[in-house]
Amino acid sequence: MNHLSSPGLPDGRTEVASEVQSVLGLAQGLATGLALIDPADWTVKAENAAFTRWFPVDLARPGAITERLRGVDLDRVRERLASAPSFAFETEVRRGARSAFLSILVRNVEFGGQTLMLAECQDVTKLRQSEQMMDSYSRMMEKNARELQKQKERVEKLLLNIMPRSVYEELKDFGTTTPRRFDSASVLMLDFVGFSEMAVQADPGTVVAELNDIFTSFDRIVETFGCERIKTIGDAYVAVAGLPEPEGEDTVNLARAALRMRRYLERRNSAHQTAWVARIGIATGTVIGSLVGIQKYVYDIFGPAVNLAARLEHHSQPAEITICADTNDLVRDEFVTRDIGVHDIKGFGRRQIHTLVGELQRTW
Amino acid sequence: MSHTIFERAGGFASVRRIVSAFYDRVLESEMLQGYFVNTDFATLIDHQTKFIASMMGGPASFPDEVIRRAHLGLGITPREFREMADILKDTLLDHGVVPSDAEQVHAEVLKREPLVVARAA
Repeated sequence: MNHLSSPGLPDGRTEVASEVQSVLGLAQGLATGLALIDPADWTVKAENAAFTRWFPVDLARPGAITERLRGVDLDRVRERLASAPSFAFETEVRRGARSAFLSILVRNVEFGGQTLMLAECQDVTKLRQSEQMMDSYSRMMEKNARELQKQKERVEKLLLNIMPRSVYEELKDFGTTTPRRFDSASVLMLDFVGFSEMAVQADPGTVVAELNDIFTSFDRIVETFGCERIKTIGDAYVAVAGLPEPEGEDTVNLARAALRMRRYLERRNSAHQTAWVARIGIATGTVIGSLVGIQKYVYDIFGPAVNLAARLEHHSQPAEITICADTNDLVRDEFVTRDIGVHDIKGFGRRQIHTLVGELQRTW
Repeated sequence: MSHTIFERAGGFASVRRIVSAFYDRVLESEMLQGYFVNTDFATLIDHQTKFIASMMGGPASFPDEVIRRAHLGLGITPREFREMADILKDTLLDHGVVPSDAEQVHAEVLKREPLVVARAA
């Protein structure tokens, strides 16, 4: 069909038509789609090839554009153009499997006293395609970032189980940690009376499940009092106060944790078949804290206070908490302790030791 | 050396052009264009981006089950499937992806033939 033909132009407007034709004649080969539309009856006065390609002519009604511009709200266009010189919008046109996105700018133009609309259509499909791809890609990246964050938090949680937060931060920032010496840290050692026999006699699954249950409660108690669980070895539980950062009330807090652990066991035993009775030793002194190992690292503590706590724990009677003289000095203002005399402690010679009975205000 | 073909190809900056060219070529293919007549533009671009990124080992997951469900009941023939795989390979080569990488992506795509091609009744 001849794109320059302008069907339906009334007599007396041939001058306008020919002017339009000559303008659009130049525009025939452009990639931009151009059409001159009469808003009075929505007829197309002239159009170029690109416009026809995007909005194919309905052979039954060659002049009317409403059918051709399906999807475009023409009344809105007319309304906007009544108050503004131009109006821009985007629309999608389909040809078979392919979509094209057009950015359409419509302007009022005067031709011989008549107001017509000039529609300029730019193909912005590639731009749209890029936007869609970016959206798709950013959604993928956001999803991956969320998963990574979740993984990171899981790893952090695992690492915080085996080392104090400040050591973890040091490891994260510097890739390595330095062993530190703490001159007045308190160490708690706990183990269960007759555990080996229990493990052999009872169903091992049940014993381990119960032990796990108890240690989980201990972890909560230790955390409540601002202390740090260092490790468990079989049925032994090791916690520490005053490292990696001394906080002042450390030994008192550790003593409170020990009493809470004992009370927890008493309550638990009254409601369960198997009785779990613990011996506890607490010692105050020098401790070295360090991350040990390269591939399989673990935060561990060494030093005299650690050994002494182990000795005191061995020395304890079932369900008793035995403390050294230095610990006693730090807690006696707030706790009831009992002097149990001077004893031979292997590796430490003769030492004055005490039993932690309870808190001062409410005795056991 | 980068770990994935996606990275070696230049990351998303390059893959964006590959997806765009692949989209054009698939829709130009007389054998394939019929399948996309009623497909939403945004959905198609989204799938092609994820599909190509995942075939290149990029940051996308495109599980086999999703591929299978997307092609269910379309009646795609082995010839059409290969045509698509070949178009992708050519597109990769035309965008500077080294032949060994393009071959590997092609092989990855071909592995998924049972998920896409309709089983003979």
